[in-house]
Amino acid sequence: MRNSTTARRCLAATAATITIGALAACSGGGNEPASTSAGTDTAAALTTITVWDPYPQYDDTSVWAGYVKACAPSGITVERTSSATSDLLNSLTTAVKEGNAPDVVILDNPAVPEAASSGLLAPADEVGMDTTGFDANLAGPGTVDGVSYGVPIGANTLGLYYNKDILDAAGVDPASITSWSTLNDALAKVTAAGHSGITFAGISGEEGVFQFQPWFWGAKADLSDLGSANAIAAGQLVSDWIGKGYAPKSALTDNQSASWDLFLTGDYAFAENGSWFAKAASELTDFTAVAMALPGKDGGAAPVPTGGEFVLAPLQKNDAAAHYANAATLVNCLVGKDNQVKTADALGYFAANADQRATQIASDPIWKPWASAIEAARGRTTDLGAGYTAASAALSTALQGALNAAGDSAGVESAFKAAAGS
Amino acid sequence: MGSVAPGAMAVSAGTGARTRGDTASGARRPRRFGPSSWAALGFLAPLLAYLLVLYVYPLVVNVSMSLHRFTRATFVTGDAPFVGFDIYREVFAMPQFWPTVRQTAVFVVVSLVFQYGIGLALAVFFRRNFPLSGVLRGLFLVPWLLPIIVSATTWQWMMDPDSGILNRFLGLFGVDPVWWLNAHNSLMSVTIANIWLGIPFNLVILYSGLQNIPTDLYEAASIDGAGPWRLFRSITMPLLRPVSAITLLLGFVYTLKVVDIIWIMTMGTGSSQTLATWAYSMAFGKGASAVIRYSEASVVGTILLVIALVMGFVYIAVQRRQER
Repeated sequence: MRNSTTARRCLAATAATITIGALAACSGGGNEPASTSAGTDTAAALTTITVWDPYPQYDDTSVWAGYVKACAPSGITVERTSSATSDLLNSLTTAVKEGNAPDVVILDNPAVPEAASSGLLAPADEVGMDTTGFDANLAGPGTVDGVSYGVPIGANTLGLYYNKDILDAAGVDPASITSWSTLNDALAKVTAAGHSGITFAGISGEEGVFQFQPWFWGAKADLSDLGSANAIAAGQLVSDWIGKGYAPKSALTDNQSASWDLFLTGDYAFAENGSWFAKAASELTDFTAVAMALPGKDGGAAPVPTGGEFVLAPLQKNDAAAHYANAATLVNCLVGKDNQVKTADALGYFAANADQRATQIASDPIWKPWASAIEAARGRTTDLGAGYTAASAALSTALQGALNAAGDSAGVESAFKAAAGS
Repeated sequence: MGSVAPGAMAVSAGTGARTRGDTASGARRPRRFGPSSWAALGFLAPLLAYLLVLYVYPLVVNVSMSLHRFTRATFVTGDAPFVGFDIYREVFAMPQFWPTVRQTAVFVVVSLVFQYGIGLALAVFFRRNFPLSGVLRGLFLVPWLLPIIVSATTWQWMMDPDSGILNRFLGLFGVDPVWWLNAHNSLMSVTIANIWLGIPFNLVILYSGLQNIPTDLYEAASIDGAGPWRLFRSITMPLLRPVSAITLLLGFVYTLKVVDIIWIMTMGTGSSQTLATWAYSMAFGKGASAVIRYSEASVVGTILLVIALVMGFVYIAVQRRQER
């Protein structure tokens, strides 16, 4: 009896100790790094470079993975982690807070101003990145309040693909499509001939906004004034496509891959989609797909948004110098003059430096229609900086409202007016 | 955020039950903190630690976040200013708040009514064994076994307004194609998908409840001349009440916190926005707005928690009344 009580007391005391230990471990919260782990961090920083990228489609055996790993100097290994574009900024936020951010992060360009102004990124100067020699329109999102944080790893943009077989059969000359009205005429013709019209991605969020921007900017609308007549005109254009049956109603929920799949069925005459599909389009066997510039409202090419990611060095709380040195090594390898085209090719992008890009475009005729588009492309965050995120959210809501209105002009107008007021 | 709710429920229900036990035994012998109490505490410690670390701590952080104004920047630095109930007031004043509450109520109530009704009907149907009834019953579990990403994508696909199979089918009867996932109809569409998803759960629990009703009751009643409807109303329903109560409570909590199926089908656009999807989109900057709103999301999370808690108390009250 006596013994069993002692045993029970011991057990109780042990359990209590474990509890207290566990609580202490929790309440530490990881805000202050323990001195012991700081020592191991230094050692780790010297032998591994951690990279986060938004390309989960490339697994460890992919060309991209091998390419990044090959960038490591001898004796150092690259540890690459991929997650979805929409998750990366949140993961980075937590990592910087906890003091264990990766050495290099590759972020979608419209997210850069918000990341920088939230204090997640280290200035390029401090890291030792070379930020010169990139086209101003492509490098724009990397500079926030006069401080440069990183460089574009490559660039992409949007164009208008057409199914040449359908256009030929319907008697539409693609060269005649130079404005919204000529595009609408072409859509009327192909649908009258029994084909479907155009696919695009109107999905809620940044992806749908990205696809809408060529029309929005093509109408000379401004992101800081969503209620303007020009903005409403752009909304009316895509809304009418739904209303007249030129575009599928599923555009409301389609992302760019889904809308591309619709185009691949061969039913659709046109598709608004990205330069990253140019290679796949050139290899189609069922029909001939050709890319051209997206038309502006009153003629000429519409300003297209720049797509693509930036390579950046997150802010480090411990051993900053060692981490930044790692980051600089990797970044200068990925986007150094000799490697820009190789990096861009590995991702299906264009090099962000004009001279490098000229070489790249000259090497393959499929890039030709894109050359001028990339040069004329506009940075999404150029006008508003970190305020872009909120403006994009409002524009997304307006776009969804316009698509739902299915051509009803009162509905389109109220959607854009409401978004302007929000 | 929403997934915290059922845990919270379990905690509250558990403590409620324990309090009752304590007062009953405490009346008989005097309270003294002797060695055996220490041992008791020791045995309790693992559970307490588990509850504290995995339930109480996240809940407290959630509530605390709703009282501090967090942005991405202050989240990183950790010095979000304390603003009291300001953010609650702001969330209540948002134009989408009351519509979202109403949509959540419709989603939950309509889902529950149909899930329970159809589940009960099927359970009663399967009560009498017939050839292949086991196989057929198994087939009804399919929605439960499929990953939600698969079933939700399939629903989205079937509900395609231009070429979806649902509209093709309706077309056979001369019905005009329905734009299932537009702003106006999306609540109805996600509710239909969610009902389909919830039927197996109701079927399984109610069926097992039916197994516990002694057959002699039915036989005796039949001899007394009761018809099938009378048997159902006077035997099945009353004896199934405890099982029904827990089915409905769990169904309520599960439905209240549903994010996945709605998100995959519509991303919470239009009328399909519920409190849970709204909290998710604000907490992670998903959907239309990539602006992260930790504090506002915590407010909505806390509201969900309170609703779930209230339902927990309702359940306990119902249970007590039945015991009497």
